[in-house]
Amino acid sequence: MDWIRVQLARIAGLFRKGSLDLDLDDEFESHIELAVAEKVRAGVPAERARTEALREFGGVTQVRESYRMQRGMPWMAQFGRDARFAFRQLRKSPGFSLTAILTLALSIGAVTSVFSVVQTILLKPFNFREPGRLVIVREVEKEFLRTAPSIPVNYRHYLRLKRDAKTLEDAAIFQQPGFSVSQSGDRPRIIGGISASPNFLRVLGVQPMLGRDFAESDAVKGAPAVVLITYNAWRVFFQSNPSVLGQTLRMNGDPATVIGVLPQGVRFPKVALSPSIASGPSNEEMILEPLIPDPYFLKNDQGGFNFSVVARLKQGVSVEQATSELETLQRAYSAAAHLPIHLGIAVTPLSEDVTAGISAVLWLLFAAVAGVLLIACVNLANLQLARAVAAERETAVRAALGASKGRLMIARLAESLLLACAGGLAGIALALGGLKLLLALVPANVPRLNEVQVNMPVLLFAAGLSIAAALLFGMLPALRSLHIHPQAALQSNSSRSINSQEGARTRNILVASQVACTIVLLIVTSLVLRSFSRLLKQDRGFNASHVTLGEVALFAPQYGDSKPNIAAIKRAFVERVMLEMRRLPGVQSVAITSAIPLTGETWVDDLTRPDHPVPAAQRPLINVRWINPEYLSTMQIPLVSGRNFTASDLANPYVALISERTAREGFPGENPIGRQMSEIVPDSQKTVTVIGVVADGRMNGLKDIANMVYLPYWAYTPWSPTFLVRSSQPSAALIPEMRRVIWSIDPQVAIPALKSMDDQLDESVSTERFQTIVLTSFGAAALFLALLGVYGVQAYSVSLRQQEFGIRIALGSGRGALIELVLRQAALPVLAGVCGGLALAALALRLLRSLLYETPVMDPYAIGASVLVLLVAAALAAILPARRAACIDPMQALRIE
Amino acid sequence: MGDKSDVLQGTLDLMVLKTLESMGPLHGYGIARRIEQISSNAFSLNQGTIYPALLRLEQRGWIKSEWGMSETNRRAKFYTLSRIGRKKIAEETENWERIASTMARFLAPSN
Repeated sequence: MDWIRVQLARIAGLFRKGSLDLDLDDEFESHIELAVAEKVRAGVPAERARTEALREFGGVTQVRESYRMQRGMPWMAQFGRDARFAFRQLRKSPGFSLTAILTLALSIGAVTSVFSVVQTILLKPFNFREPGRLVIVREVEKEFLRTAPSIPVNYRHYLRLKRDAKTLEDAAIFQQPGFSVSQSGDRPRIIGGISASPNFLRVLGVQPMLGRDFAESDAVKGAPAVVLITYNAWRVFFQSNPSVLGQTLRMNGDPATVIGVLPQGVRFPKVALSPSIASGPSNEEMILEPLIPDPYFLKNDQGGFNFSVVARLKQGVSVEQATSELETLQRAYSAAAHLPIHLGIAVTPLSEDVTAGISAVLWLLFAAVAGVLLIACVNLANLQLARAVAAERETAVRAALGASKGRLMIARLAESLLLACAGGLAGIALALGGLKLLLALVPANVPRLNEVQVNMPVLLFAAGLSIAAALLFGMLPALRSLHIHPQAALQSNSSRSINSQEGARTRNILVASQVACTIVLLIVTSLVLRSFSRLLKQDRGFNASHVTLGEVALFAPQYGDSKPNIAAIKRAFVERVMLEMRRLPGVQSVAITSAIPLTGETWVDDLTRPDHPVPAAQRPLINVRWINPEYLSTMQIPLVSGRNFTASDLANPYVALISERTAREGFPGENPIGRQMSEIVPDSQKTVTVIGVVADGRMNGLKDIANMVYLPYWAYTPWSPTFLVRSSQPSAALIPEMRRVIWSIDPQVAIPALKSMDDQLDESVSTERFQTIVLTSFGAAALFLALLGVYGVQAYSVSLRQQEFGIRIALGSGRGALIELVLRQAALPVLAGVCGGLALAALALRLLRSLLYETPVMDPYAIGASVLVLLVAAALAAILPARRAACIDPMQALRIE
Repeated sequence: MGDKSDVLQGTLDLMVLKTLESMGPLHGYGIARRIEQISSNAFSLNQGTIYPALLRLEQRGWIKSEWGMSETNRRAKFYTLSRIGRKKIAEETENWERIASTMARFLAPSN
């Protein structure tokens, strides 16, 4: 208490120094007057009285000084003086100061913007109650462990696990479909939503801000349709109207009553169904509806692995304990129920699961940008070191006058701190812009992207970073000032002769470490570039250019799955759209497919052959697509053998095209044409006959060749047909036309996606492009900084040795020899740095493996190119000072000083 | 200004507090004189040293100061005990007595 009050009084004292000084003088004066008056009354003569009074008072100046020390904050005043002095010094060399501030601002800005992304996406806990106890549960089918490490959850298995598990407090099952949502007459929009068991919010520990949570009775077939909406949905759809409860939204065409609104800041991440199934762009999840399971899911033990499960661990239970308990339950059940499959379990913490795809990339970027900052600091350390040498005499004078070691260090550090403060402030300003740039590049499917901002923790981080940077690059020069012997420094007639040998060594070590860091960053950059170009340049097996795609979601009452003739209704819609689209100008062909290409694996089945039964584990996994005959010509996928679908298949549409790889894996050593496959067509026992083999393609993602099985949509029309239009018209012109056509046929369907195939291709590699662009720019920044470093050190050393070079020239040394001398001197730290960097790379690059596509970590081209680029850049940086050395006029050089 | 002078500082502080307690509001000169008188001039004190002590006590909030007129009609700064100061006197007195008795035990001729 007392301490705080004293400090506050002291701080207050700082600001009223002037008036307090006057006050003190007044008080002293009155003290003397009172003393004099008393002495005079006692009979002392007036002049002697005053002298005595002053003597009894003691030294006025000393008292005043100790009074002031007590009043203000002496160390602060002292630092203020140091800072003012440092400021004047910096203003005297504006070139150095600006370079330093700019370098710091750019690197601190870059680190801060990357950190704000890392902080939100990887570090910030979810806004749920004790989010650390939330886990995502998936099942494992031991038979498919090799191809699918974990799979989505079966509803029946969920119910059983929820009932039996002792390690789980509770578990909720959910799906994250897009809802086709509209409000009184508007066109429907696809909104991210969650269809979940009624206990979902209770598992997460969230309560509605308005209204009520779901009750068990809401999740019963035939119960009135109800929804909960998020805070944002409340704002967007109901303009934050407080009397929203009881109002309706049209969900997939049917009205549903709003029963509650969730609190602000509660957001749900997109949970991938399984690691190999791409989760698609993360539409903000805005609407929750109770999940009413289809009876099919309640009966089926071996199919219907279609759900996600989030569970809350009991207090004190670890993920491993839960895993082992659930694993035991799953095994016991597989055995007891005589299942032909062996079930297991996979439990991951929620936060880890959600960021699984991006965390490695983000940490790599963070490491890279931290490397850039480190290089910048080394640069500045070098420059500061040079300045400290130049200021050696001044330091010596201070030391000779009795300045303590601490004061000497602080005096030198003040400059660095000042630079770091300016750089840090500018860096934060840059981070605001840099973050925008970064967010424009970050792939859209990264979770929690809309929450990223420069917030308090980020600002604190930037402030801490600036101070750390200042200490990093200011400490070395500051420590040097401790070793100065005032006598030697003052005696020497030139500041250049002292410590120059030792200084040169330190500077070379700094340059070498800088080069080492740069080499690592350059290798990372070139590896990522090579990997990305390989990804883009390899043969895809289809041609995306001039194709525009439009996905339609048939989620409306007129396509309700309870209608008896629903198959014919869907088919009629699809055929009318295709007919109208063919009439658009420039259209060459129109195709449909059941899934947008390049969105990961969907409709995964195992290939079952009635003529060749094998255990589930040995059946290859396939991706099933429902298409029309023009699909092959639209996507330009060549037919390898057999024939395409034709109108003659209309009568018996149970025919299939398979890709070469499906043929190899499903029918090894056989001619697949004419062979049968079963259990493919939904709601049908028909087997299908293979009639053709098409070339392999990277249909689900550029990284993998997929096992495809194509069937005609005549056998089954998908709920979300995707139309592919090949046209001579540009996509920009075609897109509004396609939208018009679709809505002219049915204005109540939603169009979740409408874009060119090229854009789709770009989006599918957005993570790779993001890491490539950002890493390349960091690599370039590192190279530039290293160049500056090599140049700076050589330029400085040449300027120190002007006299020497002058003498050499005067003694007849050739200019070529001088250039060689400087270059050789520059080469030493660079080569040492390259070697160190290669060693460092050998250790660090292993972490990179998972981020590279078909590119070995020790790619000789990438490493060779990086070294070459660095050497050329270093040579360029050294040649300028070398030329200056060669051009020294000996007469002038010798006259200096 | 290290710990070494703390005891001495505390001594002076307590003297000031005690003076203000018994005399009521008083100016710096008056406090200094009073301390001299009580200690029968045995305690050689530069009167000026009283001022940093007064400032310290004021910063802690134990005393308050105000400009006013002295009994001889001169302008002077008067110091008064604050409410906290009054409470602290008891505490500080006890503190000092403990130190004094401990010191006395050390200084007593050992048997």
